[in-house]
Amino acid sequence: MQTVGQQLIIAAIPVLPALVFFALALLGRVLRENAQYVAILGVTISLVFSVFALLSVAGLIGEGGPIAFSVPWIDLGEGGVFPMGVYIDGLAAVMLVVVCFVSLMIQLYSGAFMEGDSRFAWYYAVLNLFTASMLGLVLAPNFIQLYVFWELVGLCSYLLIGHWYEKPSARDAALKAFIVTRIGDAALFVGIIIFWAQTGTTAFGAIAEAAQAGFIGASLLTTAVILVFIGAVGKSAQFPLHVWLPDAMEGPTPVSALIHAATMVAAGVYLVARTYDIFVQSPTAMLVVAYIGGFTALMAATMALVKKDIKRVIAYSTVSQLGYMMLALGIGAYTAGMFHLYNHAFFKALLFLGAGSIIYAMNSYNIFEMGGLRRRMPLTFWTMVAAGLSLAGIFPFAGFWSKDGIVASAFEKHYYLLFGMALLTVFLTAFYIFRAIFVAFLGEPRSEAARDAAESPGIMTGPMAILAVLAVASGWVGIPEGFGLPVPDLFAGFVAPSEFATETLGIEEHGFSFALAAVSVLMGLAGIGLAYFLYVPKPERATALAERLRPAHVFLDKGWYFDALYGATFVRAAMWLGRFTNAFDRRALGEGVVGGIGRGVFRIGEAIRRLQTGGVQNYALFILVSVLVLGIVVGAVAGAQWAVAVVALIVALTLATFAVGARL
Amino acid sequence: MQQFMDALVAAPPLEAYLIVGAVMFAIGAWGALIRRNAVVIFMCVELMINAVNLTLVAFADFLPGAGGLGVSYAVLVIAIAAAEVSVGLAIVLAVFRSRRTVNVDEVDSLRG
Repeated sequence: MQTVGQQLIIAAIPVLPALVFFALALLGRVLRENAQYVAILGVTISLVFSVFALLSVAGLIGEGGPIAFSVPWIDLGEGGVFPMGVYIDGLAAVMLVVVCFVSLMIQLYSGAFMEGDSRFAWYYAVLNLFTASMLGLVLAPNFIQLYVFWELVGLCSYLLIGHWYEKPSARDAALKAFIVTRIGDAALFVGIIIFWAQTGTTAFGAIAEAAQAGFIGASLLTTAVILVFIGAVGKSAQFPLHVWLPDAMEGPTPVSALIHAATMVAAGVYLVARTYDIFVQSPTAMLVVAYIGGFTALMAATMALVKKDIKRVIAYSTVSQLGYMMLALGIGAYTAGMFHLYNHAFFKALLFLGAGSIIYAMNSYNIFEMGGLRRRMPLTFWTMVAAGLSLAGIFPFAGFWSKDGIVASAFEKHYYLLFGMALLTVFLTAFYIFRAIFVAFLGEPRSEAARDAAESPGIMTGPMAILAVLAVASGWVGIPEGFGLPVPDLFAGFVAPSEFATETLGIEEHGFSFALAAVSVLMGLAGIGLAYFLYVPKPERATALAERLRPAHVFLDKGWYFDALYGATFVRAAMWLGRFTNAFDRRALGEGVVGGIGRGVFRIGEAIRRLQTGGVQNYALFILVSVLVLGIVVGAVAGAQWAVAVVALIVALTLATFAVGARL
Repeated sequence: MQQFMDALVAAPPLEAYLIVGAVMFAIGAWGALIRRNAVVIFMCVELMINAVNLTLVAFADFLPGAGGLGVSYAVLVIAIAAAEVSVGLAIVLAVFRSRRTVNVDEVDSLRG
């Protein structure tokens, strides 16, 4: 279908950043700050190739349609072959471009943000490995390949969150991210094994067909699908494995942008979308996906309401938005969910880069130490406002189109509880993000640092400006047909669920509902208005309200006590198990078995060392005794005729022993 | 009386040689085990070696199938014994030089 040259270009998309990783890891000490140019070159070429892939799939180059090819990778002989390959449909092509583009913006931005860092080149190296892993994950046509890149993504997030490992909190956050996502990874792996055991293949499409043909029993299918979903829950920081993401804010801010926008957390949602044909065959699993998503969206939004750390507000917002995407996938609004993933990548990256810009200017994360930054950092302010409006889902910003799609689908598919949750979340989202923006940028400066803050350099504001344009406009490729504008709904035509999924779910076309859109926009505006009312004219109002609702405030500020709960149960249990095995190892195995053998040998040696008298005549006696004993044994075996001689020898021996023994 | 004389003149039987050899060996072993003087111990070892030699030669003479092989073994043993004695005496001399004694009871540096 494709020529070898095209295939090489596709393969180069993830390989180039991986090569950059090796080059920077090896030559980082030589390149130092020049590492960024190598990295940016690599990602730029990957971006160009990704655009080529997108155009090929869209049919603007060549004949269009999905790109698929593979080579044998692990040959199991009788057991079959694990191929390694590429499968690019519309969804994967969009993701490729988004990942490369966001990664490029972040790498441009990091050049200034990370300037003077002692491990600058290593930072860029891991950033590229991260990008390469995510691109590999997006391209993967089967579970095994996906799992390899899935773990690589986890590893890179661990390395980057712990980039400033001199700080104990960064180390702990890195470990937490790694361990919590491992829980999901383990479940995913079990799910993969179930699929492989039942169908004998790991390819997504083949598993879906096998499941359709009834190779997997209904309950086993649900189990396997939910296990895969738990993997996605861990990676995408959904309830109940969301606890790692806010702590991951310990990493450098551009890394947070990369993790939240394109690479790490998107992987979970992408996995569900990729295996959608399998998911739709289990209505139970779909409901689980939808309700976990809806609950996470609401829960994380409430947590974000009271956070003082600007990065944590945005982090909880990511958890919440990913919940939206899961909700959308769960109720069958596949296109809306993926559209939100695509829009979210841009405005969330922008929000983090804006936060990074503030941190760069005044070296503080606390919004209540900021204030009045609007005049000092106008570009950061306006880009943040654009991203905030997009996040809040205000017409006509990008977030509006996808969020409205999700909310409207929940209503039209009669999931009224989820619809209520989603709508409430819209309100909360608008409130918390504009609370952070108003407190940070309006009013009077609340610290010396805020008074002296200055706009970040152009290399940082440039990517922010580009992303701001996309935060406003990225959604315009997916304006629904029913809206009345003479533009085609490109996104829905390009990233659509398979025919099989459409039939199974009974997806019908719904016209664009202006009433629902108006309700969700009004909720958003109400949130913004409330944030303005509480925080701008008289900030005392917010303080007074927080005082009056102190228990609720603390409850939200502690993140619903999830950390405390997990600390008291799982962490404590794990620590106890660790201490127990440690004690068992030291006491029972170390001092007991190993030490016991040592002590036993020592005692035996002490006891029989007396035989080593140093006198040659004693040794000679031992030899004689031994030979005679040997003679007796041989004699006993050979027969009785030796008995007389043997007895005589024993007598002689006994006499000799007595003779020598008297002198010992 | 005549019988006794005949017995004296007649070639001694194999058992006689073996008994002499066994007695020599026992005396040698006994001496090697209980005497303190290293030189005397050597002499006792020589006695044991020669007891074995006697037994070898006797068997070589009395067993037709042996074909005289025991005699050549005896020559070999004598040669090795000579070598062994020279080495052993050298050790005894070296011990005497360093410790001013040839009493084996006093040489126990290897006591455990």
